[in-house]
Order: sequence, then C-alpha cells, then structure tokens
Amino acid sequence: MERCLMIARSVTQAQRMARVLEQSGILCRWLKAPSVLSSNGCSYAIDLEEKYLAKALLLLEQNRLAPLQIYKKVNGDYEEVSP
Amino acid sequence: MIYLDAGATTLEKPASVRHAVEKAVRTMSSPGRGSYPASRLAEETAFTCRMEAAELFGVSSPERVVFTQNATHSLNIAIKSLVKPGSRVVISGYEHNAVTRPLCAIPRVERVIVDTPLFCSEQMVEEFQKAIEQGVDVVICNHVSNVFGYRQPVEEIAALCRKADVPLIVDASQSAGIVPIHLEHLGAAFIAMPGHKGLYGPQGTGLLLCNCEHIQPLLEGGTGSASRQQAMPKELPDRLEAGTHNMPGIAGLMEGIRFVRSVGVEQIARHERALARYAAQKLQELPGAKLWLAERETEQTGVLSFMIEGRDCQELGELLAQRGVAVRAGLHCAPLAHRTVGTLETGTVRLSPSAFNTKTQIDQFAEEVSDILRKNVRL
Repeated sequence: MERCLMIARSVTQAQRMARVLEQSGILCRWLKAPSVLSSNGCSYAIDLEEKYLAKALLLLEQNRLAPLQIYKKVNGDYEEVSP
Repeated sequence: MIYLDAGATTLEKPASVRHAVEKAVRTMSSPGRGSYPASRLAEETAFTCRMEAAELFGVSSPERVVFTQNATHSLNIAIKSLVKPGSRVVISGYEHNAVTRPLCAIPRVERVIVDTPLFCSEQMVEEFQKAIEQGVDVVICNHVSNVFGYRQPVEEIAALCRKADVPLIVDASQSAGIVPIHLEHLGAAFIAMPGHKGLYGPQGTGLLLCNCEHIQPLLEGGTGSASRQQAMPKELPDRLEAGTHNMPGIAGLMEGIRFVRSVGVEQIARHERALARYAAQKLQELPGAKLWLAERETEQTGVLSFMIEGRDCQELGELLAQRGVAVRAGLHCAPLAHRTVGTLETGTVRLSPSAFNTKTQIDQFAEEVSDILRKNVRL
C-alpha cells in the first residue's frame, strides 16, 4: 500500500493535523520526518496511506493546517508531490 | 498552617497535579527530541495542556499558547516584543514590577500612568480613553491588582484599544482561573499569566497567550525543529520556546487547568470573594483596622489588603507566621499600586485565599490578629 508524508511546520502543528484527520476517520500518525526531507533540519510529518491524501489535504486546508511539502514513498525513496 | 497567600502562589494543589508531576518525572523525557515513547508521551502531554488552556482562554489555536516559566517571563516577552525605545506606553496605576521594571529597562520609554482611585472604574476608563486619544504605542493593564484585588475594567479598556488599533498587553497574574478571560473577545495582543497561582500548576510554569504578529524571542536556542536555520523559527510556539521544557511542570499545569475547568472559574471566584469579604467583616470589628474593600463586590476578587493603625505591617505578618498563618506583608512587588493608593510608606498586610481555604480558617486568622492586638504582642 502506497504511503505519503506531509511535512508540518512544527510538532504542535503536526499534532493538530493528526487530530483533525483522526476525527474525520483518516488513520494517520505523526512522527519525526526523515532527515532527507527536512530542508531546514528536524521536522515533523504526518504519515498516511496515499488513498486518503486528497481528502486529508482538503480537511487540512479547511482548518488552515496545510502542510509545507508532501512526499510519496516510491521504492524506498521519496518523491515530492504537488498538492 | 493556614495558608492565605495564594496571590504569591497556591500551596495546596489538587491531588491530580501532584500525581501528574510525579508521573512526569518518572516517564517523560524531552518533547520534540526523540521518537521513543518517553518523548512521545511528553509531546502529547504538552499538546494536551495547550489544548486545555486554549479552551479555557478562548484561543483559536493551541500554537498560540506558549509555555513560559512564570508570568514575569511572559510579560517580558510581550513587553520586549511591542515596546521599542522611545515608545509611549499607557499603564494603570496598579501595575506590578513585572511590568514597570521591564519598561524602565527600555531606553526613553514615556510612561503615562492612569492612577485613578481604587475601585473607580468609570473614571479609569475615561482616563485611559483620554490617554489613548493623545496617541500611544502600547497599552498595558493589570487585570486584577495583586495588592488590592481590584478587578480593573480591562474589557472596556480592551474595547478602547481595539477602536484605536493599539496593541494591549494584559497581566492576568491574579485573574487567570478566577475571572473569565477570552483572548479573542478581548482582542489583546498578549495575555500573560502564571501557571502556579489560580491555575494550580507547579511553580516554574506560566503561559503567554499570543494574538500578535510581531513577536520577539527572549531566548534563542534549540527548539527541536528547523535545526539547520540559525534564526529562531517564525512559527509559534517554537519561536518562544527555546530549550528543554519543564515537563513535570507542564504535566502538573495541565491537571491544574482541568481542575479549574471542572470546578468552574465563576464558582472559584465566588468562593474566594466570599472568604475575603467574611475576613473583612471580622477585621472591621478590630480597633484601628483599615481595609480596602470595594462597595461593588464584583469589582474585587478574593485579595484583601488591610492594616492596623499603630502596627507595623511587616511585624504583623511575621507574628502571624509564627502563629501558623501565612499572609504577605509589605509592598508586594507593586510599589506603583501602593503609591496610587497612598500606602507606599507603610505597605499593607494582604490575605489571598484559594479554592481550598475555608470559613473556619478565616475565623482562625481573625482570632490570631485579634489576639495579637489584644495582648499587644510584639516581635
């Protein structure tokens, strides 16, 4: 199953994003983002299945919690995805 | 000991606060640093505490609830963010040194002090209006005086500031958990408060509610985020939270806030006010007693200052301490308030009950004061 990572602005924002998504029934978890994806060093991300990405982005947009970047995990690597 | 000094810090805390502190010491590491359970637990606890505070204080997002060490720390961040050298600042005549000292440290600040008489709220609002109309950069107002319990007309002053588009800093040190506070309704730029007084958290905790874009960090350092960049992050709360968090404190504060929410702010206020007014009634029977009591009950919280003619207030405080009654005597780190009311030379004795004090304790307090006077006990 394909997975995505949405990079958050801070741990607090990641926690809020996770809460909004969970309350809407989207399974996700927040975690430290891989270093290779943290351009500024040390960031947090929401990990979820790709099939929920579109709905998740809409919910997050409505709650003013849009992620900084979105990545898809492809063959062990990450590819940036536009929203 | 009969502890009547909640205005300094609440000594008796709910059991849930003590348990949360102990649990945090055992199980929580630093939030925002690792991916293992102890760090995650710390992160969840910090987030939940922010959410609880956001609900209690009408803050739209938990990021705008910043953890500090105490209200003084919060006020320093707020004041140093908004007040620049040469600024014109309007303050009330009841401000604590946590406001006046930072202002003194900023060069060429013009302070306009609205020092209207105690419990004259209509006059205070008029004077604030005049001062604001003359042009001002920042307004700072104490919600409740730590010396006299005077609940200042902050809602009306906030309305004046909103109309004039002037940022307002509210010092909620004596009102958080006792008087309803709603950041977004007030439209204040910052509201500063301790965690360890009316919110029943441990010492070493405070909150700064932020509704302002121009925020200057007081400390720069590690935030567990955006580590490559050398400027502090722009986003709250990270911008203002450099260094390791006081997780035992935050865990305790979370339970303190839950306690306040479960009992109800209005219920706590009624209880403390009733105790203070009962104390006033008992003190008024004593020869030479002078009290500062509002005619309108809602203009004063549970904080009550008094003095006895011919008796040094520090001596009285010391004698009461020897008899197991804890009050605070002197200038209460608020010489400006004493100057406004005319007690700068003598100071006052202040009692400030909490949600845990009882009428029986007030009876005992009054009996001790009476005994000291009757027997003319001296140090």
